[in-house]
Amino acid sequence: MLDLHSTEAVLEIEHLAISFSQPRPAVEDVSVTLHRGEILALVGESGSGKSMTARAVLGLLPPGAKATGSIRYDDEEILGLPEAELNRIRGRRIAMVFQEPQTALNPVRTIGWQLREALRAHGTPSRKAATERAIELLRAVEIPEPERRLAAYPHQLSGGQKQRVVLALALANEPEVLLADEPTTALDVTVQAEILRLLDRIRERTGTAIVLITHNMGVVAEIADRVVVLQAGNVVEEGETRALFADPGEPYTQTLLASVLRLPELDEPVVEARRAQAASQLDHRSVPAVEFRGVHVRYGSSRRGRAFPAIADVSLAVAPGEVVGLVGESGSGKTTLGRLAAGLVPLADGQVLLRGEDVLAAPRSERRHLRRGLAFVHQDPEASLDPRYAVGASIREPLDIHRVGTPAERDARVAELLEAVQLPASYADRRPRELSGGQRQRIALARALALEPALLVADEPTSALDVSVQARVLELFRELQERMGFACLFISHDLAVVHQVADRVAVLRAGQLVEVGPVGSVFSRPAADYPRRLLDAVPVPDPARRGRRVKELAS
Amino acid sequence: MTRYLFSRLGSALLVTVLASIGIFALIRLVPGDPVSVLAGPDATPASRAAIRAELGLDRPFWSQYVHWLGDLVRLDLGPSYKLGGDVGSLIADGALNTVVLTLFALVLASAGAVAASTAAVVGDKRWLDSLLSALNTAAVAVPTFATALVLVLVFAVRFPVLPAGGTPPGGFLAHPDIAFQYLLLPGLALALPAWAALTRFLTEALHTELRQPYVTTARALGIPRRRIVLTQALRNALPSSITVLGIQFGTLLGGAILVEAVFAWPGLGRLVEQGISSRDYPVVQVLLLLSVVVFVLTQLATDVIHAWLDPRVRLDSRVKGASR
Repeated sequence: MLDLHSTEAVLEIEHLAISFSQPRPAVEDVSVTLHRGEILALVGESGSGKSMTARAVLGLLPPGAKATGSIRYDDEEILGLPEAELNRIRGRRIAMVFQEPQTALNPVRTIGWQLREALRAHGTPSRKAATERAIELLRAVEIPEPERRLAAYPHQLSGGQKQRVVLALALANEPEVLLADEPTTALDVTVQAEILRLLDRIRERTGTAIVLITHNMGVVAEIADRVVVLQAGNVVEEGETRALFADPGEPYTQTLLASVLRLPELDEPVVEARRAQAASQLDHRSVPAVEFRGVHVRYGSSRRGRAFPAIADVSLAVAPGEVVGLVGESGSGKTTLGRLAAGLVPLADGQVLLRGEDVLAAPRSERRHLRRGLAFVHQDPEASLDPRYAVGASIREPLDIHRVGTPAERDARVAELLEAVQLPASYADRRPRELSGGQRQRIALARALALEPALLVADEPTSALDVSVQARVLELFRELQERMGFACLFISHDLAVVHQVADRVAVLRAGQLVEVGPVGSVFSRPAADYPRRLLDAVPVPDPARRGRRVKELAS
Repeated sequence: MTRYLFSRLGSALLVTVLASIGIFALIRLVPGDPVSVLAGPDATPASRAAIRAELGLDRPFWSQYVHWLGDLVRLDLGPSYKLGGDVGSLIADGALNTVVLTLFALVLASAGAVAASTAAVVGDKRWLDSLLSALNTAAVAVPTFATALVLVLVFAVRFPVLPAGGTPPGGFLAHPDIAFQYLLLPGLALALPAWAALTRFLTEALHTELRQPYVTTARALGIPRRRIVLTQALRNALPSSITVLGIQFGTLLGGAILVEAVFAWPGLGRLVEQGISSRDYPVVQVLLLLSVVVFVLTQLATDVIHAWLDPRVRLDSRVKGASR
């Protein structure tokens, strides 16, 4: 019988410090003890050193990193071991799972090959034995038809299945410790819930101790036994999950927990918050900022009858000054719908009206004018800003293109916009890389608002940001929206974010509109089954409400 | 895949036809008149006109072109002006020698490149990198005819271990070992620049692959670096290297002219050289067109191999939703 509450340490990290040539060390002083069979969450925002700590355990730090301190596995020092000896521990004793399943697998080798390779590294001699074990492993991570999947290439699997394969690779040689670095961050909520449950079952079945690195407090509350909170390379607080959530001692932990957005309970009385009153004042009789009338979008060649419907018969209108949240999982078509508003995607059928005018029917010369009333904010501010432009020039660019005012007036407008997104005017001369992620997203927002658009399409604008930064950016967004009164299509996979900013929400699934309605009522009393399942899968940042797992199982 | 292949075939055909027009026009723009070469310095205007009419050179450009194209399609290449004999048989005589030499050089270059770049990446030693990069620069910087001459001077004249030129007596298959000796020096001279370009590209590609997340996954599983390079990174770096190899094949074709001249190798390269110096239009234009065809076919093969090596291209062409 496995003792899940063992206090025997399997991995001890003491006073770990990791430094690069930069002035500030990536990890300053981290001490963490992992007990046999437990799930320990390493929590922190970007730059807190949580990933570096995990990588240091397996000697996988980027070149140029120096690590000091001590990492002991089974009372043996493993920090600074030569590569050949580390290879005996890697995968066999301690294994690791990474964040991005899309790139963690070799694209030109089959799943079976990669599993056999992992087994071969630790001495499974025959191909036959390795194949049998590979099937067993795929079955253990709950992949259907494991025999057939062996011959599949990674691109033939969904994101969730890929992450299961990555997990199977890590478990191939029955390690005692599993380091999982944001294993569910790149996945949809429903898939995330499945993977978390799988991790929990694996721990129960094999007694593998798991270090779960995450920034998501909901995930922590869902599955972790203990929590270690990191900030700027130091351990801030440590404790049993329930105790820590109930009574966070340190101010940093308190802010971290406070910035987590919470969804209303299902079947709670409908509370249309502050925004509801504003929403009721919206004039729904006026010409909508954007209106989709029975739109269809197909990808692939329609001539060969292989067209893939990305959007099927969606009708939706956004009133002036209204924020409509578009939610759905990967492949639901939410991004496509956003791009359709700007005419960036060919329309197969239906009509898209911007302030009552058909974008695609308009002559080319007028399209530019129509598009002026529309702006985009993308998910990754790092990719959407030109790295060689000073950010002031980036903000100014739309003003230059549409020849708004004199050059001096444009400069004044840039300063005004920077002030609006709460950045000092002196930032105009900086390059994007000199700014933080949150500041870059503010710049992207300022640029989008430069031409005072009637409609803003915001595609996952805060997904790349830390929770505390996200909270501040969302607050700014709401304030600007109220002041400037633009309409917005707010695309997000994060239901809590949409709940926070949107007046109405539209739920998409496989290109179809499943439900539309005011945020309060859709989130508390979804009419359709799918939104209910989506809401159900969102991890609740409250360990006391952990419903799906019986903790007393092995005691 | 078939659809892709057809579209590539179409563009290959178009390139060939355009190139044939270009070649035909270019040859006629070259200063020097084949008629005066053939007729000799003492010919009368009447005999010159007779020769011109016989060769069809008095007809308008397009008529000459169409006539030539018709002959090509019927594979009737006609007589050469000056070199003697039928163009077809001249080419047939030289083709085998050149094909063997270029293929040999291609194999040398690619095998050498794979060996050198994997050694450099697996070894991960600074001195090895420096040495390779110095060799690379030298191989690119020194012109082919110079390396060819140096090779002859060193291995055939100073230390006479290898033949200085010519093809193996009795053909390539009679005594493969002897044939190998004959092939070694011209093959090396021809392969060197291609080897350098390929090595540089492949080394860089392998370094890029080693920074990919799947390599970190493999390392975290305890798979040794050498094995990761050989079984995973190399396999991923290969498709793009095949494209570079295809382009390098073009430089091999050009290099063959110089190398064949130095080593007295009776191949197509030498035929081109002789054809140009004696203004033998029919020989030169067919040879140029032939090299265009070979190059176009190589590019086509490259694209197909590239597609076939990448399972993402090979297996499905479904377009997935853009939403994420």
